[in-house]
Amino acid sequence: MSDMVCNIVSGIVYLILAPVIGGLLAGIDRKISARMQRRVGPPITQPFYDFFKLWDKQPVAVNKAQRFYIRGFLLFAILSGFFFFAHGDLLLVIFTLTIASVCFVIAAYASNSPYSQVGAERELAQTMAYEPMMLLVALGFYLHCGTFDAKAIVQSPAMNFIYMPGIFIGLCYILLIKFRKSPFDLSMSHEVHQELIQGALTEISGPTLAMIELAHWYENVLLLGFVYLFFAWAPIWTPVVGIAMCALTYFSDIVVDNCCSRMKWEHMLSSAWVVTLVAGFANVAFLMYMR
Amino acid sequence: MGKSTIIPFGPQHPVLPEPIHLDLELKDEKVVKAIPSIGYVHRGLEKLVEKRGFQEYVYVAERVCGICSFGHGWGYSKAVEGLMEIEIPKRAEYLRTIWHEISRLHSHLLWAGLGADALGFESLFMQCWRIRETILDIIEQTTGGRVIFSVCKVGGVRRDISDNDLKEIVKRIEKLKKEIDGIAAIFLNDETIHSRLKGVGVVSYDDIVALGAVGPTARASGVPQDYRLGDEGGAYKDLGFTPVLATEGDCFARAKVRLLELYQSIDIIKGCVENMPAGDIAVPVKGFPPAAEYFTRVEQPRGEAVYYVKGNKTKNLERFRLRTPTNANIAVLVKMLQGCDLADVPNIILTIDPCISCCER
Amino acid sequence: MSYITKSPWLVHYDGSSCNGCDIEVLACLTPLYDVERFGIVNTGNPKHADIFLVTGGVNTQNYPVVKQIYEQIPDPKVVIAVGTCACSGGVFHDCYNMLGGMDKAIPVDVYVPGCAARPESIIDGVVKGLAVLEEKQKAMAIPVREKQALREKELEPGVAVNKSQEAGK
Repeated sequence: MSDMVCNIVSGIVYLILAPVIGGLLAGIDRKISARMQRRVGPPITQPFYDFFKLWDKQPVAVNKAQRFYIRGFLLFAILSGFFFFAHGDLLLVIFTLTIASVCFVIAAYASNSPYSQVGAERELAQTMAYEPMMLLVALGFYLHCGTFDAKAIVQSPAMNFIYMPGIFIGLCYILLIKFRKSPFDLSMSHEVHQELIQGALTEISGPTLAMIELAHWYENVLLLGFVYLFFAWAPIWTPVVGIAMCALTYFSDIVVDNCCSRMKWEHMLSSAWVVTLVAGFANVAFLMYMR
Repeated sequence: MGKSTIIPFGPQHPVLPEPIHLDLELKDEKVVKAIPSIGYVHRGLEKLVEKRGFQEYVYVAERVCGICSFGHGWGYSKAVEGLMEIEIPKRAEYLRTIWHEISRLHSHLLWAGLGADALGFESLFMQCWRIRETILDIIEQTTGGRVIFSVCKVGGVRRDISDNDLKEIVKRIEKLKKEIDGIAAIFLNDETIHSRLKGVGVVSYDDIVALGAVGPTARASGVPQDYRLGDEGGAYKDLGFTPVLATEGDCFARAKVRLLELYQSIDIIKGCVENMPAGDIAVPVKGFPPAAEYFTRVEQPRGEAVYYVKGNKTKNLERFRLRTPTNANIAVLVKMLQGCDLADVPNIILTIDPCISCCER
Repeated sequence: MSYITKSPWLVHYDGSSCNGCDIEVLACLTPLYDVERFGIVNTGNPKHADIFLVTGGVNTQNYPVVKQIYEQIPDPKVVIAVGTCACSGGVFHDCYNMLGGMDKAIPVDVYVPGCAARPESIIDGVVKGLAVLEEKQKAMAIPVREKQALREKELEPGVAVNKSQEAGK
């Protein structure tokens, strides 16, 4: 089988399996959080029930632009995941993900509600906080493995984490922002009692909201794919290590979520940049020196 | 920069348990002005005294607010007893104190949970309310209701608590103390909570005195304003009482004052149980209230509440007026909201522990 | 399969309630009662909700507010009036500012009495509301022409023709 067919097949597998895995991850998240709070919690398949229920609701949209941009958000989130799992270029994946967030922000701005507007501003602040680190991740892989290609990175001779611990710590820090967990769930939150009602999601309901959920599932699987890149290398048994580390990272994010209150956006921005500078840049400088 | 938006906050908002409307004028996520608009919970129950008999009205007075319910029943009964110059038995006084302090425990734990939830700390909210269920069990076993007690009446109390039950209450509260230690440790030591609460909504001693704030809001700025200090004939005088004070005057100080008051309430309940006098729980009430006026005060969990009654020799009182602590604290709230961040608005609103249904009756 | 009964999201509003029923509604979310195990989420946003849990009665100031929240909730929706004040006005029914129970402002589907209503009753009311919600969703799914046919069957044969001609205009 030629390389290209292999790539396309794995991309298609991603397209089909990612919503299932993403939904199950969201369900496991809610179940574990509930258990930590001494409750029983919903069944693991609850996110799927939520999705289908939202799909059946009466669509109440503020204007047509909203639905258009959310479709764009979903499309680019799926595309970036597809590029990643079809063993594409890391830099292309990161920038496509950025386009997805911009679509989301424009959709939030599309309504006149002040909650939506402030939520959109906070989403932009979040993007400012995590974009530098994402670019450093790509840069770090390039300096270490000599390429942006995901497939080649996974086949590298030694575990990537050993040379890039600082970058991994930086990535974990911004994963809290991307997974929308406390202390950084500022612009939209699954928990209810926040000052912006649902923030950027305030005016979005019904099938459009279902599309956002779906896009988040695709995105979460993609982000865990980034974590996987750090821990899998050439030997054939290493995918187990990679998947185990992905699970561990996700679980520790749930633990942090349950142990912290929400921070203000100024703190989020400054702390994310401090971590990027200290952990990320130090690691990149080390890798450049090693070359 | 310098975009000005007006955000309508409430009356329906997940962070607010009750409807209050605030028009927040924002400049880049900083609140420039806050204009409150109240009246959503106004039922007009003070006028109901004209329709309900003075003994029946205690059940309406209790329903002014579901959280401080017992305090209102007590305040009204105390006011009518003072008006009719009825002296209630000592045991009734001590029982009322025990129920009121239990009510304070449940109210402060409720506040702690809501405060944590507004900060985004959902697990702390769940833990606080899980602990609170122990207290609600005690209330239910001694009075029959979880929220509205209906045990206070003009002339005393309607139910007695047997000595066995009193010992049981003390045992459970001792166990509760350990769990409260866990909650207080998180509240007082967690870094993310410090960053959200310290230095937010600072009010000085002079401002509190000038604006007339009461309760933990006042005590957190160093003003020793607590009606239990001046209690004339109740259990507080017998047991001796010092108010819990703090000096910083920010949201964190107010949280600290409320958490420390939890421990103080536990001590008061234990003291009441140890010194519980024997005797009747009520005296019969004969006749109608005279044509006179009387006012009394009760230290509610949120502050001092003033109850004024006026009789006119008939079965119905002429006037009943209640000044609740939240009425006094709204001015401080508006002052605190000026110049704060949008993210702090729920914290500041919850820090005065608003009970809008008390405020509007 | 009706997914709406497996994932009902509720929005809670306090009309003129004394707050007792509201804290019992919030207590339903807490570990002892935990309604999240049924998939119920307390969302604060009417646009995301299916169930409108309302406490307290209607007074002159909150009458338009309650109506507006009700209209913002997308179909299918259910209104559950929690507490005696929401059912009929309760102790305050003859106060000067009160217009009565919640059904003076919006159509109510389930009435949960109690002062304050216990969490067990509230959960029971929500479960009954889910059955109503399922019926409403089935009604929503029937296409318009079928609904017209169902309506015509109930009328007399002679009248039906005129009614359907009028409806078609």
